Amino acid sequence: MTTDSQRAIDPVRLEVIRNALVAAAEEMSITIWRTSRSTVVREILDFSTAVFDARGNNVAQSARIPVHLNSMSDCLRTILDRFIPLEDWQDGDVIVTNDPYCGGQHLPDIQTFRPVFVDGERVAIVGTLCHHVDVGGGAAGSYYADATEVFHEGIRIPPLRLVDRGVLNRGVFEMLLFNVRQPEETRGDLNAQIAALGIGERAVTRMARKYGRQPLAAAMAAILDGSERMVRAALRAIPDGEASFEEWVDDDGQSEESIRLAVRVAKAGDRIVIDFAGSSPQVRGPVNNTPAMTCSAVYYALLAALGGEIPANSGCYRPVEVLLPAGSVVNAVFPAPVAGRMVVNHRIATALFGALARLLPARIPAAYYAISYVYALQTVGERGRRQVYFDVEVGGWGGHAGGDGASALSCGLHNNTNAPIEMVEAKYPVTFTRYGLIPDSGGAGQFRGGLGLVREWRLDAAEGSLSTNFERFRHPPYGLNGGSTGSLSRTTVTHRDGTRTELRSKVSGVRLAAGDLVTIETSGGGGYGEPRRRAPDRVARDVAEGLVSPTAAAEIYGHVANREVTP
Amino acid sequence: MTQDLRIAVDIGGTFTDIEIFDAVSGDIHQLKTPSTPGDPSVGLVAGIREACDRFGLRADAVGHLLHGTTIATNAVLERKLPVGALITTAGFEDVFQIGRHGRNEVYAITLEPPPPLVARSRCFGVSERVDARGRVTTPLDETAVGEIAERLAAGGVQAVAVCLLHAYANPIHERRIGEMLARLLPGVAVTLSSEISPEIREYERMSTAVLNVLLMPIVQRYTDRLASRIGEELPGARVYLVQSNGGVAGLAKAGREPARLLLSGPSGGAAAARRLARELGERNLVAVDMGGTSFDVSIVHEGEVSMVNEGAIDGLPVRLPMVEMRTIGAGGGSVAWVDQGGRLRIGPKSAGADPGPACYGRGGDRFTVTDANLLLGRLDATAFMGGRMPLDAAAARRAAAPLAAELGLGVDALAAGVVAVTNSALATATRLSLFEKGMDPEDFALLSFGGAGGVHACEVADELGIRRTIFPAHASTLSAWGILWSDIAHDLGAMVIGRLSERGAQLQESADRLRREAAALLDEDGVPAEARALEWSVDLRYEGQAFDLTVPWPSSDFSQAGIDAATAAFHALHRQRFSYDEPSVPVEVVALRVRAVGRLSRPATPRSPETGTGAPASRQRAVIGLDGPQDCPVWDRAAILPGRSVSGPAIVEEPYTSIYVPPGWAIEGHPSGVLVATRHAIP
Repeated sequence: MTTDSQRAIDPVRLEVIRNALVAAAEEMSITIWRTSRSTVVREILDFSTAVFDARGNNVAQSARIPVHLNSMSDCLRTILDRFIPLEDWQDGDVIVTNDPYCGGQHLPDIQTFRPVFVDGERVAIVGTLCHHVDVGGGAAGSYYADATEVFHEGIRIPPLRLVDRGVLNRGVFEMLLFNVRQPEETRGDLNAQIAALGIGERAVTRMARKYGRQPLAAAMAAILDGSERMVRAALRAIPDGEASFEEWVDDDGQSEESIRLAVRVAKAGDRIVIDFAGSSPQVRGPVNNTPAMTCSAVYYALLAALGGEIPANSGCYRPVEVLLPAGSVVNAVFPAPVAGRMVVNHRIATALFGALARLLPARIPAAYYAISYVYALQTVGERGRRQVYFDVEVGGWGGHAGGDGASALSCGLHNNTNAPIEMVEAKYPVTFTRYGLIPDSGGAGQFRGGLGLVREWRLDAAEGSLSTNFERFRHPPYGLNGGSTGSLSRTTVTHRDGTRTELRSKVSGVRLAAGDLVTIETSGGGGYGEPRRRAPDRVARDVAEGLVSPTAAAEIYGHVANREVTP
Repeated sequence: MTQDLRIAVDIGGTFTDIEIFDAVSGDIHQLKTPSTPGDPSVGLVAGIREACDRFGLRADAVGHLLHGTTIATNAVLERKLPVGALITTAGFEDVFQIGRHGRNEVYAITLEPPPPLVARSRCFGVSERVDARGRVTTPLDETAVGEIAERLAAGGVQAVAVCLLHAYANPIHERRIGEMLARLLPGVAVTLSSEISPEIREYERMSTAVLNVLLMPIVQRYTDRLASRIGEELPGARVYLVQSNGGVAGLAKAGREPARLLLSGPSGGAAAARRLARELGERNLVAVDMGGTSFDVSIVHEGEVSMVNEGAIDGLPVRLPMVEMRTIGAGGGSVAWVDQGGRLRIGPKSAGADPGPACYGRGGDRFTVTDANLLLGRLDATAFMGGRMPLDAAAARRAAAPLAAELGLGVDALAAGVVAVTNSALATATRLSLFEKGMDPEDFALLSFGGAGGVHACEVADELGIRRTIFPAHASTLSAWGILWSDIAHDLGAMVIGRLSERGAQLQESADRLRREAAALLDEDGVPAEARALEWSVDLRYEGQAFDLTVPWPSSDFSQAGIDAATAAFHALHRQRFSYDEPSVPVEVVALRVRAVGRLSRPATPRSPETGTGAPASRQRAVIGLDGPQDCPVWDRAAILPGRSVSGPAIVEEPYTSIYVPPGWAIEGHPSGVLVATRHAIP
């Protein structure tokens, strides 16, 4: 099947232009990395860049973090539809926003866009998204667990021209910097975003001059059509049908109430409808998702389920209809707080995976840990010196029809690295006592879930205050096809006198004293298939390697232990 | 008898390349001989014997044998490693299993990682603790070490890595364990992390130590065999192996620290690029090596090869200095295909050497980049490999037909398309390599080598805005030529963490220790005093950053004046790399590094062995360029003498490769033996 856009451009030129567009996004990405100031950007790589066609469809993106996929498209669409229509974009403008209710993500994610004009004609738009260290609000880092309104979470920037036809709007820039805790880093990172747009503009202009404006436009259309075609072909290969699934999130951090995520998938021919009717109403705490956030999770899960080979762009989503009840936790309305959106965001993906598993049982794994285990420790040292140690942990992957889940590895919507223990100890007043896998934490199954991990440290400073944004304390990762759930997560504080305190999943500013030992245990993944069908050599290997205890091996897998052999 | 001969040997999967330099006559001789993968030293010795016979050289006149080997790399990639164990601080036995927990494939949802190099059940914790400042906070439990040693002996373990928390700051416990293991487990290989890679970050240091210890038995077996063979054949020769850092090391050091050989593949090419940059007076060269399966980009900036302090093999970090390299899966054997979305794709799958491209006539039926170049007339069907391997254009056409039909193109248009898409990918990889260092392609000349690069280089340069492309003699064996000019290089380092302005005394103290260690290593190599050099550098960063830059410290003066000079150099480098500096922010030091260089004797400039014929182009053939088919003169490389300039379009042929000079370019000879193509008109 050949579409009109394909006929308009020969396949060679199309591929050459595609390479150049991807390279343009990559050059922008390198520019941000090179010129930014903050560690969030430089080391955690929490940013992304994209090239859009002249009407605002995403054609190329450079993103290392799945939750950023397509995250800029909705924002640009909202800006164009509701704030600054396309015909008002002038050469040299830079449009900026961070507002979740203008299509943005959470407030720390500042997005910038710039049109590319060649010979007076708009040929493309380039964009960037950066997670900024702080945008004000009730807590350093702008993760304020007690927020009940978006106003508590920082400064909101409506879509506006930060640069107007090449001239920086200094008043707006300074007002922004007056409202953040680390203005120099914000200034540096915003300048990096503006510089990257200039690099993107230069690269796209070079392309338009070399290949011509018309061929460039035709190539962009063909790129979108190509991805659409691949998604439709992949959807056709799935049997028609409907499936539902529900997931329960522990809580919003402010009440004990669990949050329901309900999803119903209807697949017919080369189309799919994904309906979240029946999901909980939006909640008081800051874990709500807006449509742009929800769609990032939906699109990620869908593309991953379809095999992950399809170039991600706006064309992919044409055959996909997403229905989000207004006022629900997946389509929160203003002014619900959203900073901790990942709590629900990961689970939108696992809910959708659960439904898709009923249509594609051989392809979808059991649930992963599905939470970014983010924690921050503020320490107070001599002469009141304050430091903030921030970390993100992970857990186990779900087992799947082809094998066991991976242990202690980033999965799903986030992708981050841990902080080396030696680096943390060199800088902060903490001493680690344990970092290891948790035996028996992987859900049992013919194919076992990956193991969760334990990270344990002692506070050496006189006092500290701990905040966590965890999950899975009550609702473990599900198993599939008879596999068992993965383990629950847990945070324990052991005081110097030996007494223990179990913390809730989400805490804000829990006081710690010198010598307190904090033990963080993350969830293992769910198991896949009946445990009794597990190959005996896999069970034996798990026991020999200490991943499954001899007791569990006997009780769950019916494994008869041989005499232990030393290595 | 003086040892006037120097031999470089680069052992690849298929061929062993040998280059011999005769210091008396100034001649360089080349030989290509089949590799012997079972025991590479067999092919090596046979090749040297053959070369001595052919060129009338005396084996006992060989003074230096420099040797690049993939034996360590292959052992890891093929997982042919001995049973190993790891001893670490109690509570952290799983650090090796957990790693840094980022994933490479963003969309992967079903992933079962391969079994770890050291099984979890052989990772042992011992009670001990050193803190970040190097103070012992828990003494070493020596009884536990003894018990572990007993279990290891019973389990037949052949290699033990020791990596304790903060051992870079104080190695006392690692050393004690090392002493105990030497006594309790004689004959078992042991690596201490504080010796192989004394750097902060436990997982990277642990991974480096594990790789090193698992390779020790393998590489030591090889060096033992090699030493005895060479002792018989070349009694006067000192033998060195090529390391990942672009320098060579003696056999004893290579056997102790084989992890330093792991990423040595690019070293020969990088050494060649550095030497050519000097010979040609080029400050900045971007070197691109295109072979059958991959395209490797390395950089010579301001006369020096770009280095990094860490690399990875098979997903495992190797925290050791090495030549910086960006690789993409695009080579002559890369297969063209149409994906589900109807896109024309090139690689990363390669037809390799066997069956190879369709035109090799060895049963390959996939259309490759080499097939495309043949159909475009850029390669000669009869002159390939000096005429010993005629190419089958009809087979290439047959392989092209189904793809051409699927895309609705003619066969010639498909071939032109495959080359165009390949060139755009090569240009992108090259551009990004420079871009991420804040460098502009227009400030560079392109150095093209590898068997498949010559037909693409000028067009790639055009895409990058590069105006000069350099084609060295013997592009297909340049790596061996580069090895021929390598020096001994030992990298040593010490962690010194804190504000640079307050760490002068500690830097001085560490420098004194490193100077002693460097001297001992160069003594072992027998390097005379006048051939020694120490190259100092420091890793610096702004306070609060976790991201450091290596800054040269040529003076090794750690007084206030020296510190001020290094601080200024850091600000300048930061500005170049990251577009800004922050003179008001304090600068932190992280590590002191020194490279101990032992210069191996050599004369100033060897005489070029090439004696050109000066004959004019003898043939013409149609070559399909960007503007369709055009009649092109075909030159033998030997005919392009210094002073002669040939305008494109033209083809220049040599035995193992061809050069395509597009319209707008002219190529001329240079006294050193290279050809230089220059763009003389804007496309």
